[in-house]
Amino acid sequence: MKQNKYVILLVEDETNIRNLIATMLETAGYQTIVAGSCSEAKTLYASYLPDLIILDLGLPDMDGMNLLNFVRQNSLTPIIVLSARTNEADKILALDSGANDYVTKPFGSGELLARVRAILRNNRFSAEEGRLPGGRFVLKDLCIDYDARQVFVKEEVIKLTQTEYNIVAFLSENCGKMMTYAAIIKAIWGDYVQEGSIKKLQVNMANIRRKIGDKPGEGEQNYITNELGVGYRLNE
Amino acid sequence: MRKNTSYIKDSAITVGLLIAAFASSLLFLQFDVEEHITTVFVFAVFLISLFTNGYTYGVLAAVAGTLAVNYAFTFPYFALNFTIPVNLISAIVLIVLSLLTSALTTKLKQHEAMKAESEKESMRANLLRAVSHDLRTPLTTIYGSSTTLLENSRAMTEEQKTKIVNGIKEDAEWLIRMVENLLSVTRLDSGQVKIIKTPTILDELIDSVILKFKKRYPNQKVVLELPDDVVMIPMDAILIEQVIINILENAVQHAIGMTSLTLRVFTRGTSAVFEIADNGYGIDPKRMETLFTGHYASEHEVADSKKKNAGIGLSVCATIIKAHGGSIKAENLNTGGAVFRFALDTEEINDETE
Repeated sequence: MKQNKYVILLVEDETNIRNLIATMLETAGYQTIVAGSCSEAKTLYASYLPDLIILDLGLPDMDGMNLLNFVRQNSLTPIIVLSARTNEADKILALDSGANDYVTKPFGSGELLARVRAILRNNRFSAEEGRLPGGRFVLKDLCIDYDARQVFVKEEVIKLTQTEYNIVAFLSENCGKMMTYAAIIKAIWGDYVQEGSIKKLQVNMANIRRKIGDKPGEGEQNYITNELGVGYRLNE
Repeated sequence: MRKNTSYIKDSAITVGLLIAAFASSLLFLQFDVEEHITTVFVFAVFLISLFTNGYTYGVLAAVAGTLAVNYAFTFPYFALNFTIPVNLISAIVLIVLSLLTSALTTKLKQHEAMKAESEKESMRANLLRAVSHDLRTPLTTIYGSSTTLLENSRAMTEEQKTKIVNGIKEDAEWLIRMVENLLSVTRLDSGQVKIIKTPTILDELIDSVILKFKKRYPNQKVVLELPDDVVMIPMDAILIEQVIINILENAVQHAIGMTSLTLRVFTRGTSAVFEIADNGYGIDPKRMETLFTGHYASEHEVADSKKKNAGIGLSVCATIIKAHGGSIKAENLNTGGAVFRFALDTEEINDETE
């Protein structure tokens, strides 16, 4: 067994779900500390400084968003949000407030563990993930040359417009993280979301995905995944 | 908001029609056929009562019409005089007419609203009946299996345990899908039938659909035939996603002997046609009529009917597509198998990608 286990703080008020997730995490080799309320979680967070927080949004004493904001005041500890709500608005709010990812209840153990692994790995390399010296980003057959502002797939240059390049570069800097429409629009056009801007982004994105050879339904085989009504992710 | 706009619309109708009546009366005066002027106003008041809500506009128009006829178009001209019997009678006729028409149209509108409401009510009742029956079966498995495991796990072989746990998993998955369907319906209700459409890229929709479907049925291949162009469709994407998944799932569960499942989307004029076709056994013609109503499940239920959510998924589909202003159809193919088809309006993409 590894000596140096990752410490995960699990914040969930439903005892059954908490026990279940704790078991999932422990059998996968993570050290898990659990909290059943927001205030308890704050105390545990301060004394353990966990590597990752799994946070249920519906807590008895305060909304989970409260803890999310509390942690984000002075730390970049990755946070995965658990949400029973299928409402996209909640996901967007959590992501835009600094959550790294979310998992919608109900979920299987594979789904949660995959997210945990991805985030821990990602966080260790941080933004340097995939970035090679000389300002290049490499992911499978995709290569971005930041200096030349060019994108290659299988060594072949992909003809992208300025905007399309900017979007791909932005996603690559946040590789593995779900970026909301609002976050991308802010980064690319410096705008807040307004009438038509999401549509503009979607059309650009549709063109990018065609150009780099993503096909609908290929899932993780694709470079870019979309979550309807929420945003896009460049898969690791 | 909606109230305000209806006030504005009704007032506009009233004023517009009155002006039209007044203008044509002036013309009539020109041609010396003033005996028909009252008829023109009668007609205008009738139309106003017909096209506006409630009594107010009709009665106001009747009063205005009476005054106008009396003042401008009958003897003595440009003076009010109700002592002449003809004028008095035409005033009474106008007001009575407006009251009767308004009463009639109001009643008609109420009747229509009631009919729509009861239709929705009966659909909801059907759904609830089918669902509550269907929920019990998987819960029985889950509850029974978990207690068995807790109490007798020592006496059981690993194989038996795996089998029981698999049963729990399958039925829990089934419950998840059922709840998703129910959530879709409540999402429809809370939006009061009017759904919120957002422009959605077809490829993104299909991407999301296929990912979810693959998670549930990793071994079922879906052949995709999609248009080459980027297509944008205003829709409630979560709901349309549910529709396509339900139909695909329906094929997996009911199309006996199916070896290929195709999801085809093509554009025809300004609409996008979605077709989900299988090459299975086809749909029993007896079931065709009630396929989308959810009736079949409750009326022909067999005691041990294996929770195949017969009808619920498809009736949810029909409701969602109807709320999008379309309709869904199913037919058997000559070549064997069945096809489900629905269409949605597309939106133009103005090429401002820079």
